[in-house]
Amino acid sequence: MDASRRSLLKAAAILLVDRWASLHRCAFADESPSTSGKNERKVIVLACGGIRRAESFSDTGLGNIPHLYRELLPQSVFYPFIRNAGATSHYNTISSILTGNWQRLDDWGKTPPVNPTFFEYLRKRMELSQDNAWLISSNKALTSRIGASSIRDFGPRYGGNVVFPKQLLINAVIRAAEQGHAEHSADRAAMQAELEAILQHADNYEGLGWSVSGETSFLDLRMQDSMQQAIEGLVRTNVPITGDEFTFLVSEEVMRRFAPSLLVITFSDVEVAHFGSYSMHLAGIRTMDRLVYELWNLVKSQPSYRGKTTLFVLPEFGRDFDGSSTNGFFNHRSIDDSTSLTWMMCLGEAARSTDVVERPVQHIDLCPTIAGLFGIKDLDLPGKPLPGLSA
Amino acid sequence: MTEWPGIARKEAPSTDAYRRLIERLPVTLRPALNQQLSQWETLFPFEQNRFSNFMKGTATLSPSALDALTAPLQALELKMGVKHWNFSEASDTIENASQLARSEYYAAWRREVQRVFEAINAAARDSTLIQADRTRLILLFLPSSLPVDPLSAWKLWDPRGHVIKISGNSGRFCELAMQGQLNLSGIATLAAQQGSVESSDLWLIDAEAKLSGMLSSLSPIAVSSLSYSVLKPFRDKFLAELNKAPKDIQATDEVISKLRLESWNGWDLWPLEVANQPRLRKFVIDLFLSGNGAVIFSNAFVEWAAAEVLRRARPRTIVARFGMRSKPKPFTSIAVFENQQRISSLPDVDDPENSAIDALILARYVWLAASRYPEQEHTICLCVSEYRDSAYVILPAGKSLGWSPERPVAPEELYSWLGAQFVS
Repeated sequence: MDASRRSLLKAAAILLVDRWASLHRCAFADESPSTSGKNERKVIVLACGGIRRAESFSDTGLGNIPHLYRELLPQSVFYPFIRNAGATSHYNTISSILTGNWQRLDDWGKTPPVNPTFFEYLRKRMELSQDNAWLISSNKALTSRIGASSIRDFGPRYGGNVVFPKQLLINAVIRAAEQGHAEHSADRAAMQAELEAILQHADNYEGLGWSVSGETSFLDLRMQDSMQQAIEGLVRTNVPITGDEFTFLVSEEVMRRFAPSLLVITFSDVEVAHFGSYSMHLAGIRTMDRLVYELWNLVKSQPSYRGKTTLFVLPEFGRDFDGSSTNGFFNHRSIDDSTSLTWMMCLGEAARSTDVVERPVQHIDLCPTIAGLFGIKDLDLPGKPLPGLSA
Repeated sequence: MTEWPGIARKEAPSTDAYRRLIERLPVTLRPALNQQLSQWETLFPFEQNRFSNFMKGTATLSPSALDALTAPLQALELKMGVKHWNFSEASDTIENASQLARSEYYAAWRREVQRVFEAINAAARDSTLIQADRTRLILLFLPSSLPVDPLSAWKLWDPRGHVIKISGNSGRFCELAMQGQLNLSGIATLAAQQGSVESSDLWLIDAEAKLSGMLSSLSPIAVSSLSYSVLKPFRDKFLAELNKAPKDIQATDEVISKLRLESWNGWDLWPLEVANQPRLRKFVIDLFLSGNGAVIFSNAFVEWAAAEVLRRARPRTIVARFGMRSKPKPFTSIAVFENQQRISSLPDVDDPENSAIDALILARYVWLAASRYPEQEHTICLCVSEYRDSAYVILPAGKSLGWSPERPVAPEELYSWLGAQFVS
């Protein structure tokens, strides 16, 4: 990526998180180290949309994932066969990963998960503050309801922060067009005015980001204000900007400032496949590959993460096979292995003994594994802790 | 049973009789059948015949035999809790599909549906739906503007095929197919010789507007012609309406239903080649509502249109030509589902390398779509890369190239050979 463009994106993300932090400083000041999660074990889960083995870990796909294959695979515990046996939609898959139970909910996130998420388990059992649990997502198929379950003893008061940086960009562009200001999408100063106008109207906030910190999810206006700052940086460039790039930079800043114990990131550049551009789908895979590598380097360079972090990287599912009645790579609806069987990589503390574990595992195995890494072992979950990892 | 219509297209179905039959079937089978019945006039002949055949099979079965056949499916529906769903019996909806797909019994349900359909069709004892022994033709063009990678061009295609080197201007091949020349009949004439009489039997599907522009005005049969670029005014309006759908499945179904019923004629947006053909207009609307990028990218339009034509019309001849897409624009590329020209004032810039990557896999997908049907055994598929002066041909069993693949052939020779294979 062009250095000047990257620095602009980075500045925008820093500004966003900085603003959020300053607004919350009072709330965090009295927290003890244990409740803020500092010096504790860290887990990051990165789910990257629908990617087939054919375009990633296979002879035909390795060229798309040079960092994952050459740099990270040799230092990982790698699971070549992880099965998504649930509904292969985004909301259901991510909520299944979070809860350790196959969720079969409205695909567009109308209802919260019906089992507690690991955000809730961890925050309740370990008395962690909300800044220790984040989900930062590019995917517009998710909603804030994914941050906490509908279970009465858990629920939003133990949920995670849920933020959708990419949606703000989308809303800004669409608003400019609706106002008849197409020229603004190519002009920084004009675009900034469009963004400010969006952020002044609460009705336009749907999908941007929420803080889940009560009985009901509500939009944290301070977070919206921070996102405006981030966008101001973004509009300073006229080269293509991807949603995953921005999601990564926001995640990076959240890690620097809050060092959350549990961070879930979901990418979605690859989902352009739904519109039938294979080349753009491949570009999304290559972006994911690079960003995972950068994320791992960040983990190794940050004192609050170095030596205490486990990173899981996995596609949510594959995509339909070439020649399927569901139009191949466009979709992820078939019940074939091309869609339901994918791979997972584990790096870091729990992957001290590198290995390739060929025994099939499932997406719902992540929740009990993560709970176990935090010392929570008595959960009644259908999944099994992943084999091959260190305690 | 004398109340069943004889041959589709010749008379309208006895709607009440069909509806009573549909009522005898499990709930999850009803939406698609009811939808087809309600849209009878805009179905293709193949669809009408298939529907009538299925109804004939259903009527053939005694109530007890039908109950026995469908009992496992109805038991599954009970376990899935279908009666508690917001499940439309009138038509297929996104919510229907979503509810089925997220059920833990989804795979079992699909298997049961397949079994029931096969058994009912077998009961109709009608094997005349498709004249599978006639040679069919799929002609695909990757235009000269698309720099197809020579190493990967034909690598993933059906291994039964052959690479053909074309000498001279391979763009001439498309002209010959559309126009013919003194001693070579154009594709429409060849299709007519093959017995095609109906416009749904010969399709021209184009990312740009080259095919219909080149087609000889002396075409002996009617042609169904769709062009992504010519449809632009309609597409723009349609996309704008589609993007009003909120992030909610039920609301989206309502928007889609409204768009399906919209009187698009009043907008005066249809191109001439579609304007007077209600069936073709309906096909375009269905195509755009079924997603798969058909309203976003020209090459996705070509592929998905061809796949849907193959599924719904089962034509004897399809000619599809891919094209160029623009580079994603700065900043607005994150909203790829929006009309890029509307949301950015920056000029479009061609993206030849990536358009070639898209077109190559999507051309192969057209062949794979055709491969799902029994008539593929009698189908010739020829894909021409004008940039590489190269082609890939897949032939039915018993047909052969007739020359060494190493020897380059002139476009005229190739087209002459293809015509002979098609009508033989």
